[in-house]
Amino acid sequence: MKHAAMATSRFLRRFWRGLREWCGDAAYETYLLSRGRHSASCRALTPAEFYVEQLNRRYSRPNRCC
Amino acid sequence: MKRIFGIAAWIVVAVLGAGALGSIALHRGEPLNATWFVVAAVCCYLVAYRLYSAFVAAKILALDDTRATPCELHDDGRDFVPTNKWVLFGHHFAAIAGPGPLVGPTLAAQFGYLPGTLWLIAGAAFAGCVQDFVILFCSIRRDGKSVGQMAREEVSERGGFIAQLAVLAIMTILLAVIGLVVVNALKSSPWATFTLAMTIPIALLLGVYLRFVRPGRVLEASIMGVALVLFVVVAGQWVADSPSWSRVFTLGGVTLAFAIIAYGFTASALPVWLLLAPRDYLSAFIKAGAIFSLAAGILFVRPQVLMPPLTRFVDGTGPVFAGKIFPFCFITIACGAISGFHSLISSGTTPKMILRESHARFIGYGAMLLESFVGVMAMVAACAMPPGVYFAINSPPSIVGGAGASAAATISGWGYPLQAQTMTDLAHKVGEITLWNRAGGAPSLAVGMAQIFSSTIGGERLLSIWYHFAIMFEALFILTVLDAGTRVGRFMVQDLGGRVWKPFGRTGWMPGILVSSAVIVALWGYFLYQGVVDPLGGINSLWPLFGISNQLLAAVALVVATTILMKMGRLRWIWVTLLPMAWLVTITMTASYQKIFDGDPRIGFLAYAKALAAQIAAGKIPVEKIAETQRLIFNQRLDAAVTAVLAIMILVLIVEAAVDWYSILSRRKESMLHESPYIATRWAANFSGVAHGDD
Repeated sequence: MKHAAMATSRFLRRFWRGLREWCGDAAYETYLLSRGRHSASCRALTPAEFYVEQLNRRYSRPNRCC
Repeated sequence: MKRIFGIAAWIVVAVLGAGALGSIALHRGEPLNATWFVVAAVCCYLVAYRLYSAFVAAKILALDDTRATPCELHDDGRDFVPTNKWVLFGHHFAAIAGPGPLVGPTLAAQFGYLPGTLWLIAGAAFAGCVQDFVILFCSIRRDGKSVGQMAREEVSERGGFIAQLAVLAIMTILLAVIGLVVVNALKSSPWATFTLAMTIPIALLLGVYLRFVRPGRVLEASIMGVALVLFVVVAGQWVADSPSWSRVFTLGGVTLAFAIIAYGFTASALPVWLLLAPRDYLSAFIKAGAIFSLAAGILFVRPQVLMPPLTRFVDGTGPVFAGKIFPFCFITIACGAISGFHSLISSGTTPKMILRESHARFIGYGAMLLESFVGVMAMVAACAMPPGVYFAINSPPSIVGGAGASAAATISGWGYPLQAQTMTDLAHKVGEITLWNRAGGAPSLAVGMAQIFSSTIGGERLLSIWYHFAIMFEALFILTVLDAGTRVGRFMVQDLGGRVWKPFGRTGWMPGILVSSAVIVALWGYFLYQGVVDPLGGINSLWPLFGISNQLLAAVALVVATTILMKMGRLRWIWVTLLPMAWLVTITMTASYQKIFDGDPRIGFLAYAKALAAQIAAGKIPVEKIAETQRLIFNQRLDAAVTAVLAIMILVLIVEAAVDWYSILSRRKESMLHESPYIATRWAANFSGVAHGDD
């Protein structure tokens, strides 16, 4: 029973994380993690700056199909 | 022992799929249950994925998980982001699944359910999925380069330019035709028009929230937005019931076309965070929800498919669009079987986020299989309504003789019994003024979806709500494609213009933004207007044009893929991309030829222009209609010219590629592969993407 509860909880956590990544909710966290991995020297963007910059890049190339 | 069970299980799946497919193909007489379609499609997809995609992955592409992918080499947290394969599958599927797999099969249902269903399943397994998978692989091996860049490097400089022009052309036609689908869905429907109009202030509200209140909190904003959208779907009924408000939102085709053109321009010129992106978030959630609900609904309701396997319109006299099964079924259903546009996605964002080469099989091949399944569901939804009702909704008035008793008599005369009262009752039940002559696919699909949804929840009482939910869902994500496409088109125009005059190419320069937005909107807006005023319904000329351009782009992608495979030394297996390419070239060239030169005015653009000119010469056109008719003649000639230019461009590319292939095969030229050098991955074998510390 305890095992099943743990498995369910793990699944739900993964699902939640996947959903946040899929819809872009976790994009800023991903950006900060990536900066951490590469110890970038320039200033980190604020959430608002990152949000706008990310959208401008994403919508400048085909990203929705027919 | 485990291996024997595995083989036995796959044999069972294959036999079940073959049996279900056989039932669909050979069944005659009594209506067929939709479960057979689901079983046939799912079993075929499973077998195709297990066997064919594994063969392509192992023998042809030789996927290598020890090789670092672009997201590892260029990890920047922005474009190049290591992403879990399931999440990336969701991203990729959301990007490739547009209105095409819903509208195309609905229109092709005029041939009966069989040709479209077979093409959806076989086309996806052997062509569409292969294209997406191979292009994704090629792009991964080239640091995420686009199909245009790959064409330039691997085929020729001119090849890249042709690919870029082809993309702009397909974008123009695509935006016009989906705009037309929306116009026909909203025409004379105050409920639907109000609902869709309200999504604009909702998106603006979300845009401000995401920009200033809680930057980037997409999930919570989308939940609020979806709740508001569902509320306005219900509120639309109150608007439709109010005589004064109903008048405000009851719009004709031309007015709606201009409203959509104005919207496209505004969305393209405004900052992306304000309108375009929040609409996209809303659309993504509603699209995912509606598609999964439709699948669940079909499995739960198991509707009877009332459309015959083949209709009398296989002879090319169909009322929805004219032309025989070959080649028109294969260009009408583009997305869902094979779509050139997918190659832009497979060589766009996805290769920059993929963790391992082996994931390309699941994401490239698998996501396309799922899109094909969406197409099969759309086919089921369209074919589950009585054929008479289907033809009444999708036929233009010039073919069926308007609406009411005379139109019902025409359709009944085709062998699909219909009472005029049936259409009146149906329109009343779904809360519409009329359902006659609503060509474009969206209203008939919405009727089919509403019948399936209402059989699951709410019964006939909720039929009108479900219908308008389905219309809102289709129109919302069509407009998302329209505004995102207009913006991308704007960048392409700026890119091309920047070659002539440098300042025009600066994407942040306001005059450049306004002029380029106006240019791209004028391009697709002209075709949209032309479709709206076309007496044959617009879909008859624009949808085949869209199908031809989309499939031609697929041919470009497959030419690039074939060239790369040849340079990789995979000559023995070259047929994997060469055969789909040859098939696409055959159908698109045949369709192009027929659309330009066929003697039937409903098929050939030039024949239609000639027939109209003859009517003017014979004095059959009233004086006040002569200018309008001359415009129609010009439009037909323009469509013929566009089709010819597209076909010639692709032929040039194919000839160039064939010369290149000959040089490589005859060893006159050294085969130069522009692949990035091998760098071994440093990630552990179980690394599955960026961890946010919550697992």
